[in-house]
Amino acid sequence: MADELTPDEALDKIDFSPRSSSEPRNWLDTTKSVQIRPGMYCYAAKPESVETLGLPNARQWNPLEDDWKLPENWQEILHEGIKERLERFRTFKIFMDICVRCGACADKCHFFLGTGDPKNMPVLRAELLRSIYRNDFTFAGKLLKNIPGGKRLLGSREMSLEALKEMWYYFFQCTECRRCSVFCPYGIDTAEITIIGRELLNLLGLNIDWIATPVSNCYQTGNHLGIQPHAFKDMLDFFVEDIEDITGVDCTPQYQKKGADILFITPSGDVFADPGTYTCQGYMILFKYLKDKYGLDVTWSTYASEGGNFGFFTSHETMKRLNAKMYAEAKRLGVKWILGGECGHMWRVINQYMDTMNGPADFLEVPVNPITGTRFENAASTKMVHICEFTADLIKHGKLELDKSRNSNRVLTFHDSCNPARGMGLLDEPRYCIQACADQFYEMPPNTIREQTFCCGSGAGLNAGENIELRMAGALPRANAVKYVHEKFGVNSLATICAIDRAALPTMCEYWVPEVDVIGVHELVGNALILPGEKERTEDLRMEPLPGVEEE
Amino acid sequence: MKQTIKKNRDQLLDSWFHATINTYPAESARILGKKSDRFDNPIGSATRETLEDVLNLITENFSRESLEKALDPVIRIRAVQAFDPANAVSFVFALKEIGESVIEKADIIKFYRLVDEIALAAFNRYMKCREDVFLLKATESKRRIHRAFERAGLVAELSEGDLLGSKQS
Repeated sequence: MADELTPDEALDKIDFSPRSSSEPRNWLDTTKSVQIRPGMYCYAAKPESVETLGLPNARQWNPLEDDWKLPENWQEILHEGIKERLERFRTFKIFMDICVRCGACADKCHFFLGTGDPKNMPVLRAELLRSIYRNDFTFAGKLLKNIPGGKRLLGSREMSLEALKEMWYYFFQCTECRRCSVFCPYGIDTAEITIIGRELLNLLGLNIDWIATPVSNCYQTGNHLGIQPHAFKDMLDFFVEDIEDITGVDCTPQYQKKGADILFITPSGDVFADPGTYTCQGYMILFKYLKDKYGLDVTWSTYASEGGNFGFFTSHETMKRLNAKMYAEAKRLGVKWILGGECGHMWRVINQYMDTMNGPADFLEVPVNPITGTRFENAASTKMVHICEFTADLIKHGKLELDKSRNSNRVLTFHDSCNPARGMGLLDEPRYCIQACADQFYEMPPNTIREQTFCCGSGAGLNAGENIELRMAGALPRANAVKYVHEKFGVNSLATICAIDRAALPTMCEYWVPEVDVIGVHELVGNALILPGEKERTEDLRMEPLPGVEEE
Repeated sequence: MKQTIKKNRDQLLDSWFHATINTYPAESARILGKKSDRFDNPIGSATRETLEDVLNLITENFSRESLEKALDPVIRIRAVQAFDPANAVSFVFALKEIGESVIEKADIIKFYRLVDEIALAAFNRYMKCREDVFLLKATESKRRIHRAFERAGLVAELSEGDLLGSKQS
């Protein structure tokens, strides 16, 4: 649904003093606070997409209108939804109970640091739901709600329409990046509160379209963009031509090959969106190299053509449905194990949920790199290995011939994507790969990388166009660190291992640090790797002259 | 007057910084106003550094362009936050009242004019940033998806260059 922004709406910004005059310190008062601002929210889910998935209350609706077309008994649905989840998820119950509002998380969220909106402090975002929990589910809440001033004392409130709208607005201003949880002395994972919050909103049909439509596409055609198998193959064929022009080597991949050693799955963004497409060419070059040198047998699949999983941002059940195709395809093809591409949230789903949702995958083998003999114990249960671990292992064992000079025009830094960094601890492997492929590498300051990395501001389904102000504000802490290394060390390339990052960060850079370009780690590998029988390369994968070539 | 500004720079900076940070809601201003690491508090540090640069600049020879450039970091941030256009640049005018305590009476009209000049530069830069945002919004999806499809010959419409026109960077 297209909302044309009228000039008046463009000027209609938030009043930052939403408290009522009688109680200026009571942030729970919502009488003036639900101000849904264009530029900050994503369009509502299309009814067709909600219908495809069989999720409730599919209809046209607009967040800017008063009437959200909710079911008549919406409060009851929500109450039952919270109740059910309190019983199902022990973490949710604990996170609702134990926060002491110490504020350690308050200034750790990129959305708070970028927007300056206090309700983006993780503690307050969680309180939006917690206040309702206290009112409806705790003994103290039931006791105090009938006493004058009792609710204020406890920090509880009724499930009103305004409270619901506020939850919707702010749960879609959280990228579930989990930086706040690193600093919480109780280990509260605010991302899980957002996950449950969004799941509850979905019970009323309150999803956003940038999530619902990709999920629906993925459910029907196997990937978020809804690209059918022949178009998927067309794109890879096209990359084959490009790579052949650049290297003189034919890197045609295999599709759906039964009995291959390894099934490779990557986010569809790598196949269809720049600059991820160059990373995809990097994978293809690597697989060709390994096939020619060591006989490694890797297959792609046009059915399991999506590593990402926007179901994760909808509900546990939806995530499970989308994820199931990975194991199903691996089983159908009879491969030994699965190799996964450079992606963000895909790895959180795989590392933390897949095994218990759709596993155990006992029809697969514990991944062993057939070239080096390395057994990936960390993936012993999921049977799925991150390509950076795989490539780092090959480099460590001296199995790749790399020409660093081909990346010598790149002065690099590395952006740790939230999910691989905080969701699975993949911190050193990408750095190891980068440094094997390029000489000039500089870290951003320690409080902005590794476990403390700042989110790109567009994760968890928020990389839409209509919420660009939210995205740019949310990206400020990351951009601030990139700008620092750009000015200090002349960094011109921001390397990353996430498809959303590759899509979101170029826009971030263009606004905050226009001199910096975004590049995937395997694009660097593809440039540096010396293929057997290749011609003398004069261009990189972007078909730009290699360093040193332009002067000749 | 320039000498007075130079001499009282730290005092002016402190007051101006607090006036600017207090345009945020009270709960946020408490955190953003802290002198913390510049990577833990990008708004606070960019605001302080920018205001300091501007105060230094106005004691030297400056042009509207150099003022705009100096103001950029703070305006660029405020242009994507919840401020309406007036409130995005209103912090500049706070300098008038702050300056009254140190600037000599005879110079005060001149000082007001100087602040007006900063405000005009701020307004210019604010518009530039807003245009950047709208342009990015209009072109990013085309750039991302369309170019890949176009290269593969899967679309036969206007090329990306045609769509973006002269604004393509």
